[in-house]
This record gives sequence, C-alpha cells and structure tokens, in this order.
Amino acid sequence: MATTTAAPASAPVHDASPGQTGLWSWVTTVDHKRIGVLYLYTALFYLLVGGLEAALIRTQLARPNLSVVSAETYNQLFTMHGTTMVFLVVMPLSAAFFNYLIPLQIGARDVAFPRLNAFSYWVYALGGLFITLPIFFGVAPNGGWFGYAPLSGPTYSGGFNMDFWVLGLQILGISSLAAAFNFITTIINLRAPGMTLMRMPMFTWMSFVVQFLVILAFPVITAALFFLQFDRFFGTNFYQVQAGGDPLLWQHLFWVFGHPEVYILILPAFGLVSEVLPTHSRKPLFGYNVMAYSGIMIGFLGFGVWAHHMFAVGMGPVADSIFSMATMLIGLPTGVKIFNWIATMYGGSLRFPTSMKFAIGLIAMFTIGGISGVMHSSPPSNMQQTDTYFVVAHFHYVLYGGAMMGIFSGIYHYFPKITGRLMNETLGSWQFWLNFIGLNLTFFPMHFSGMLGMPRRIYTYDAGQGWDLFNLMSTAGTYMLVVAGLIFAFNFFRSRKVGALAGNDPWGAPTLEWSIPSPPPDYNFAQIPEVTSRYPMWDLKSPERTAGLEHSHADAAAITEAHAVPIHEETERRTAAELGIPMPFNTIKPFMVALGIIVMFSGMIVLHAGKFPLAMAMMIGGGAFLVGSLYAWLTSPLE
Amino acid sequence: MPKLHLRRFPTVAVLALVLLALSACGGDYPNSTFSHHTELNDGAVFLWDRMMLLGTIVFVVVEVVLVYTIFKFRRREGGPAPRQIQGNAALEITWTVIPALILVFLAVPTVRTIFESQRKAPDGAVQIEVIGHQWWWEFRYPQYGIVTANELYLPIGRTANFSLRTRDVLHSFWIPQMGGKRDLIANKTNYLWFTPKADLTSSAWNGACVEYCGSSHANMRFRAFTVTPAEFDKWVAHQKTAAAGSPAAMPAPDTSTKGAAKVPVKMAGMPGMPGMTATATPAPAPEAWVFPLEKMKAFTLPSTPLPATRFDDALLAAGDPKAGREIVTNVAKAPCLTCHNIKGETQYLNDDQAKGPNLTHFGTRHTFAAGLFRTDARTLALWIKNAPLMKPGSIMPTFGTGEYNALMKQKVTAGGLDDKQIADVVAYLLSLK
Amino acid sequence: MASAPATASGAHEAHEHTHYTTTGLDNRKIAIWAFIGSECMLFASLISTYLVYKGRSLVGPLPHEAWTSPAGQVFKPILNMPVTTASTFVLLMSSLTMVLALAAVENKGKPGYEGLLGSSKTWLLATALLGAAFLGFQAYEFTSFVHEGLTIRTNLFGTSFFTLTGFHGTHVAVGVLWLMSLLFIDLKRGLGPKDAIIVDISALYWHFVDVVWIAIFTLVYLIK
Repeated sequence: MATTTAAPASAPVHDASPGQTGLWSWVTTVDHKRIGVLYLYTALFYLLVGGLEAALIRTQLARPNLSVVSAETYNQLFTMHGTTMVFLVVMPLSAAFFNYLIPLQIGARDVAFPRLNAFSYWVYALGGLFITLPIFFGVAPNGGWFGYAPLSGPTYSGGFNMDFWVLGLQILGISSLAAAFNFITTIINLRAPGMTLMRMPMFTWMSFVVQFLVILAFPVITAALFFLQFDRFFGTNFYQVQAGGDPLLWQHLFWVFGHPEVYILILPAFGLVSEVLPTHSRKPLFGYNVMAYSGIMIGFLGFGVWAHHMFAVGMGPVADSIFSMATMLIGLPTGVKIFNWIATMYGGSLRFPTSMKFAIGLIAMFTIGGISGVMHSSPPSNMQQTDTYFVVAHFHYVLYGGAMMGIFSGIYHYFPKITGRLMNETLGSWQFWLNFIGLNLTFFPMHFSGMLGMPRRIYTYDAGQGWDLFNLMSTAGTYMLVVAGLIFAFNFFRSRKVGALAGNDPWGAPTLEWSIPSPPPDYNFAQIPEVTSRYPMWDLKSPERTAGLEHSHADAAAITEAHAVPIHEETERRTAAELGIPMPFNTIKPFMVALGIIVMFSGMIVLHAGKFPLAMAMMIGGGAFLVGSLYAWLTSPLE
Repeated sequence: MPKLHLRRFPTVAVLALVLLALSACGGDYPNSTFSHHTELNDGAVFLWDRMMLLGTIVFVVVEVVLVYTIFKFRRREGGPAPRQIQGNAALEITWTVIPALILVFLAVPTVRTIFESQRKAPDGAVQIEVIGHQWWWEFRYPQYGIVTANELYLPIGRTANFSLRTRDVLHSFWIPQMGGKRDLIANKTNYLWFTPKADLTSSAWNGACVEYCGSSHANMRFRAFTVTPAEFDKWVAHQKTAAAGSPAAMPAPDTSTKGAAKVPVKMAGMPGMPGMTATATPAPAPEAWVFPLEKMKAFTLPSTPLPATRFDDALLAAGDPKAGREIVTNVAKAPCLTCHNIKGETQYLNDDQAKGPNLTHFGTRHTFAAGLFRTDARTLALWIKNAPLMKPGSIMPTFGTGEYNALMKQKVTAGGLDDKQIADVVAYLLSLK
Repeated sequence: MASAPATASGAHEAHEHTHYTTTGLDNRKIAIWAFIGSECMLFASLISTYLVYKGRSLVGPLPHEAWTSPAGQVFKPILNMPVTTASTFVLLMSSLTMVLALAAVENKGKPGYEGLLGSSKTWLLATALLGAAFLGFQAYEFTSFVHEGLTIRTNLFGTSFFTLTGFHGTHVAVGVLWLMSLLFIDLKRGLGPKDAIIVDISALYWHFVDVVWIAIFTLVYLIK
C-alpha cells in the first residue's frame, strides 16, 4: 500500500450511481458496471459452492477406502465441481471484467445493447440456480462435466440428474452467446475516436478474441446438447447405441466446443495480467503486436486441436499424428506470451502489490501447466497420462494456476476502480502465499499419483497402491486453499468498508479507465476522450514515457461527431442529467424474459416427471411470458 | 511482521517440491507407468523421458529468468526510470523459433512411435477379447474357447492382441505397468497389443477402468497375471474344461496351443453358439493351474472394507457344494443362470447375452466383483446376501432374506435365500476350481 | 434456438441509439453479422451430423435407397424430389422479394419507386407468404414421411433429417414472424428510409436462412 497516496479512510466514497439503491435498482439495472458487479458477486458465490464441492471430494480421497460420501454423491460432486467452476465461476468472473472494463477501456458510455447485457446476466444467475439447486435434493448431474454419451443418455441415466445438466448448459449457453454478440458489437463499434484496434488495451484484445471463440464454439455444444436433449426427451437416436448411434459423435462435438472453451477460460486472465504487469513494471507491454496476434493465433488454432482429448478412442495413426502436431503448434503462441511477459518485467521498475504477485504467480504456474500440456500432445505417452490424475494436475495448473491467479490479480488491481477503495495488502499477501503454496501442494502431487497409476473420477481407491501420501498432500493443500479463500472473502468485504481511498488512478496505469473517478459515474466519461496512442494516461501524466510511441490524431469528423476532447482526468462528479447525457432507463423486462426461459426449461423437467398437463402449462405459460416480456422490451425506448 | 515469514515461503515451497520428487523416486509404486515390461511402454517411456528433459530445461530457464527479473528489477528509491522498450522483433522471433525446434525433436519420434504402436499385431499373438460391462471385465480367449472375468492371464514373451468392445457405456482398458490404455466404445471395436517381455518373471499386476462409466467406475478393476508359456498352457488347458460338478464335467478336446494362433479369432462366444463342445473323446482331466495366491503381492490383494453384516462362520464351514449347486443351477430356486453362464450346466443365454461374469472356474479366481474383494467364503457370503450394498449400482440382486436392496429400494422378502442356503451356494462357487 | 431470443432483442435494442459509432455502422448491423457467424456453426454441426450418419441407419426407410424390412415390407426411397424442388424455388423467390422490400423501404418516395416497386407492404407480405408456403411444403413433407413410416425415432436418418430440417424450418418460422412484425409496423405507421436498418437486418437473416437451405438441399436431397 506504499504505492498509493493515503487518504483518510473515513472520507466518503461517492456512490457510483446516485439514486440507485436497493434491491429493485439491482434487478432492473442496465448499467454495465453494476451488471459487472452482479457477475462478480454471483460468480464468487459459486466459487464458494465449487470450492466446497472440491473440499468434500478431497476429504473423501484423503485416505484409501474412506466413505465420507457415497459413490453416488461423489459422482455428483465431481460432476458439479467441474460444471460449476467452468460455467458458473471462471467464465462469469471473466464476464464480470468484460462488463466492467471493456466500455471503460475503449472510452464508451456503455455496451452496445445495455438491456441485452442485463438479460445475459439474469439468464446466467437463474440458470446457475437451475443447475446447482438439485444437489441439495440428491439429483445433481452425475455424468461428468463432459457428459459422455451413452452414459449421459436415457438408457444409462434415466433419472432427472442429467436432465438438469443438459438443460442447464443450454440455458447458460444463451447467456454466453447473448453476451458475446454484445461485446463484439461494443468493441467494434463503440471505441472512442483514435482508439484503433491496435491501440486497444490488451485485456480488451483478449476479450475480443474470446467473444469470437464463444460465438463459434457455443453453437457446436448447443447442437450436441440438443441431440442429447432430444434423445432424452423425444426418443431420438443420436447417441443411442442400439440404433447404430456413435458415441464418438458426442465426443467430437463436445471437444470442438470444449477445447476453444479452455481458451475462453484462460485468455481473459492473460488479458488481465497484461494490464497488471506493465503498470507495476512501469514499462509498456513488451511486443504488443505479437501479444495481440498470438492471442488471435491461439484462438484460431484452438479450433484445430480438439481430438487431442480423444487419443485413447482409437482414431487411427494418421488422425493421432495430425492432432498431435497441431497441439504442439499451439504451444508456440502460448510460449511467446510467457516470454513477452517476462520481457515486460525485465529492465522495469517493479513493485509487488498483491495484483502483481498474482500476475507473476500466473506466469510461474501457467508455465507448469503449459509444459505438462505439451507432454499430453504426444499420443503414445498420452495413452499413459490420459484419464489419470496427471491430467487433473495439468488442467488445474492451467485453470487455477493460470485463470484463477489472473482473475485474483485482476480483482486486486480493479477493486479500487470498482469500489473506490484499496484492498488490504497484508491480507492480500497472506492470501497469495497460501494460494501459491496450497495450489502446489494440492496439484503438484497429482502429477505423481497420476503417473503412478491413479485413474481420475474414482470415488475411492485401495490401500497399498502407492498413492496414499500424494492424496493426503493434495487434501491438505485443498484445505489451505479454502483458508486462502476465506482470507480473500474477509479482505474483500472488509476493504469495501474501510479500505484506503483510491482516487482515480492508484497504480499509475496507462489506460483510459483510470482517467475517471473511482467508482466511475454511471455515464463513465463526462466527455469522451480522444485517444492518440496506446497509453493515453501515460501520455497525460508522464509524456516522456510514451515519447517513443506512435502518436496520431483521430479523424476530425469522428472527433466532432463524438464530441471528443483531448485525454484528460475527470474528477468532478455530476449527474448525467446535469451533463445532458442520455442514460438508459432501468427496466425489469430483461429479467422477466430470463425468468420466462427458466420456467420453460423447468417445464421440461416436469415433463420428464410425467406430469404432462403441468409441464405443458409451464412451457406454454413460460413461453407466453417470455414473448410478452420480449415484446414489451422491444417496443419500449431504451433511454 | 508477517512479511518476514512470507519471504521464506517460496524457499520452503521449492524445498517441499524437491522432497516430494525425491520421495516419488524411492518408494514402492506398484502401478507405475514408468516400467519397461512391454515394447508398448518402452515407446511411451522413451517419449516421456525426452519430454521430461526438454520440459525441465524450459521450466528451469523460464523460472530462473523470472526469479532473476523479480529480484534484479525491484523498484528502488531514486532509481533510474526504466527504459520504455516496446518490443524487439529479433528476440520475439528467437523465442518462437527455439520452442519450435524443441517441438520438432518431439514430433518426429512421436509420429514414428504412433505408427509403430498402431500397426497390426505380429503373428502368433494370443487373441483376447475384452468386453466391458458396468462394472466388470469379461475376457475371452477365442483361440481356446475360454470365457472368464476380471482376471487376465498373459503369456510372457508372446504378444497379447486385445480387441476391445463394450456391452453398455464407454470404458477404458488399462494395465499401467504394461503400457497405455485404450477406450472401449459402443459400436466400435478397438485394438491394442503389447508383448510382456521375455525377462519378466511370473507376476501379478493391477488393471483398472479409466473412462468414467457410472456409479461404480472406481470399483471396475481387474488383475493381470504375466505367466510363463508353460504355466499359460496349463492354465488354458484347465480353463477349457467344463465346471466341476456339472454333467459335462469332462475335458474338452485338446486343441494344440502351438497351432492356436492360426485359429480364427471369432470361434466361441458368437450369438447362439454354446460356449462348449462336448463331443470329444474322454481324456484325463488336466491338472488345474492358477497363479499361486502366495505369489500375489499385497497391492494385488484388495482390502476393500466389508459391510458390518453378520454371517455365522459355522454355517459357512458346513456349506454343502451339492446343495449349493442345486440352488445355483435351478432357476426355479434362484435366478443365477439367467445372468451367469457355467460351462457344462444348462445354458439359458449365449455368451453375448450373459449380464454377469462367467462362473465356470470361479473358484480359481483370487478376486471377484471386478477385483474389489478377495475370494473367500465369508466375503462371498456377504456378497450374495447383499451385493449392491458392497458395490454401488451393481445389478447383482440382493438375495439375503430381510436385506434391503438399495437398487430396487425395497426389502427382500419372498424368494430370498436364508443364510444356510447362502452358505451352500458359497461352498459350491468355491468348489468351481 | 438457444440464441434466437438473444438476437431478436439485439436486433431492436439499439434502435434509439443515434450516438457516434466507430465504424459508422449501426450496432445492430454488426450484431446480426456476429449472430449469423454463430448460426453458421450451429448449422455446420447439424449438417455434419446428418452427413456422418448418412448410410449408417440400421433400418429403413432411407432417403435415396429402397429398403425391405425383415417382414418383407418394401419402402421406396423416401425423399420427394419434385415437391422439395418446388419448395426450394419458393424459398429462393422469397429472397428476391426480400431484396425488393428492402429497396422499397430504402428508396421510399424516390423517383422510380412509385407504385408496385415502392410498395414495401406488398414485398414484405410476399416474402412472408412465400416463407409460409415453404413451411407448408415442409409440413406436407413431414406428414407424408410419417405416413410412410419415418419418424424422428425410426432410425439415424429420421433422427438427423428431422432435426436438421426442423431446425431450418424453425428459423424460417421465426423469419416469417419477424417479417409479419415489420409488415405490421409498415401498415401502422409506414416504413421509410430511416427504418431501413431494421428491414436490412431482417433481410440479412432471411438471406442467411435461404443460403442454409441451398446447402441443405444440395447435401441432403441432391447428393446421393
């Protein structure tokens, strides 16, 4: 905290949106910042859920032959742990940053479609409940987050469990797709004058790539889930073995989605640390162009490597070889990112607030996950690794050591922007080190247990297999991570109230979001700034640092049309009305449309329960409610 | 000051990791994948070693530079402002090209090994059909007309060519010490072959299902025995015979094992084809040979906890195999043969219809319920009394009168077996040597 | 259909925005292109699945081949080429009328756009009716298939065929509703050049649905 100007902790922090208080204002908000905050809180709640699931899993596996939970419960726990962490935690945490940061970073007053944005959030929040609540009734999904057919089909999973999974993922897909259309449009179309693509902050760049991955990958799983849904509800034959159905169809479709999904999870974290590292190194990002291109390259190649999840299914030597080499290839742009981050720090003037610790943690830990990833790419060796704990170790280094480290870094970095106050650095340091050690203690031994023969997804194992010590270590590490999580939660909620005041720009960061007050007013920028280089705030505050950068002015017509003014710091707080900025009205309609969707999908569950009239009532009623709310939405003015 | 302690954390962490790595080298790891028992695993381990070496170099270089950077360039009061470097094309090309070269050193042997390990199995291989079931393993030796379950015999020095199928959901066949795994996929036959090396001694290994397959995925294990060719021949000769106590309990014709490789793969186990041929001339029963229990190391002997159900040991001691056979083979008394086949007894199902393991030589297997339990009278009695209690999701019915059947969610009343009958059944099953 | 509500809303959302945009294009135009890109992947998955399962059905009826059931019943090749060719022509024509509708809205009141050519109502109605006619053909086709013994549960062909064409039909139906809404607005207050964007994005959607049908017609019906 030595890095910021201390301010009396009792000084009032201005409300982000004056007059916007109470539950109703949150349900009806269309402000991208408030929606971002909603995403953040909801995803942190699910992080708690997913973390507790992990703690139970690890408790069961602490020693051989334990029966803390039953086999059935365990299978539900590991399925929900994966599903929760991927769809309800990491993606929405990224979405929280997309929402909060993209408009601020590109100099926009909101996203392109503010109400659609609210809709995305509510579909996510309600869909999350839809897929999470069943675990309290013992009917949670139990076929793995990958839902391999035919186990997930009607023949082998007759109950409600996988219904919740199929329908829940469809609901969450709607949310992700709607958000992606919104952000693509926002980034293409709402950049401030002078904010060319190659001047966009790296987080916005990585988010941009991610949105394309979402719109191209999610339809594939949507199709695959429709097939499974039709098999389960309407008796079709897509994955029905007795009718000649091919279980590998599911696997191909799932992984055509599933591998880009990995990059959907990691690229936003890459973007966040690409903001944190230059700021705290006092140096520009090393090789900006290459960083942007490598992100695009990763996204592009990400669609050509899916079958490396399937080296054991017997695709034949030619396919094995092709996917093996494609997979090795994708290591290159990823490696370049690591080297460029280190080069960003090299020769810099480094300071180490918690956000920087986590960012460096990502570099150090993701490297391990990246290397073990390349080790998977060789099929003959992969055949010894796949479906063992070695793979569990690998992707937890990528997703915990990578994505979550990056997200924690982003939270510490942007908390002052969001709340106006800084998080406590001492607690942050404790959290970081406990996380760092805990994650290594949890996941490093899994490399060993895996290569020493321990399969994945087993609820128990026999004694004397040489795995006892490693499992005990993993369990101990998990408890450490739980403690780290509690410290984070304490720090988060405490700092909101008593953290030191941040001011506009506590870190000396280079990008536009730091030119406005913290928390930003609802209209973001009283005057849209004109951007003349990649680092507008450094242009303003220490022009000598950006002297070597290419500068140019935007098209005069664009400046006039956008009423843009030169880059400046905004400190005054006035209302949008005073400034004459039209703001979108709050509206409940997106929430109502989302609710209609949930009711419709719940009708499918009721249908499976055999209550035909009620199911029809729910589906038709939900549908009518949806259409009516949508009509009201489309016919009411935005602002 | 907590900061002082925190500074030491990384050192402690690194030390711990090193200790962990060392401990992993020294211990006893019965399912290690780093063995050299087959040519299949030689390929895998060769690639692993190369990747480990290159990976370690990359790891050390990255982390050393990173740590150096962290310490060297920490902010100092009054230090000079850092030079604002935007990038360096030459450097960036360098650290793209070097990893690319490293990958070439991986890709070439990878592709070579892929094609080597996936070519056709050499002639003279012992053909083994592996059929996955929720949650147990069926093994067939079509060259010898043997159908068995959960215990696999592999002759040392001879290639074992597995054809892998599943009866229900996906499974994956894996013996870590013998090499990589291969999935069992519905509507598809997969292949995998390897040769237990000639220098192996007669030994027992663990195998497991490694594709998630439902409730008891964790309980779908098996044992593999690598045995000398002579032992294998003796085992085969015995396993071909009909079950003890059966009307057909006489030796099957002795097809020479030496010419066996030329026998078409699909000989037995075709739909509608009985699992036995009993028209041969009588010959003295071959001496039973199985892998000796005392040679099985501890890790191959399951220690799965047993339920607390009581069973009277005196009853077990008094179990009557003949009475047991009456129960097992009479579907009016117990439905055993509507799921299990016993060679020599009345056959209700062909091998492709049987839902349960073939019990012909059940008594020669050291483990049962897919490697979950040791074959002893008490455990077996508990199993027959209430199998779903001991193996979640098992479709083996609960037979003990008064027991609660978790799968059917009801108490067993009429049609169950009392403890005396169960003791007889156990005695019969154990007599199926 | 997971994304349909999303676009529909996206399409009209920014109607009120007259703010500066980077590209000078309307937000909705960019969103609809992103949506179409996404839809391409959906239909690519559906079509690939159909092609993967082609010829792998265990029982008939089959699309291009006759099939005799074990009981001796003979099923003719089930695809009805004349009917589908007609329906394809109808859908192609609807793209033409869609172009005319957009031109009429964009050029309303300009010289040369008097009378029929400038009557956006006529062309919107014609497009919607042609779309509805296509749906009629599809309803006829589905019904006759069911009568001939092919349902979505019969075999892999039935499963993948009905799903693929059903998804396309649903898209056409959504398009028809969309066109009817535009027609409704046109009747109520008249559509002029300033409304061109909302007709433009519906036209893009409509042409996309048409192009998808050409792919389906080629891959499912024409190629044996």
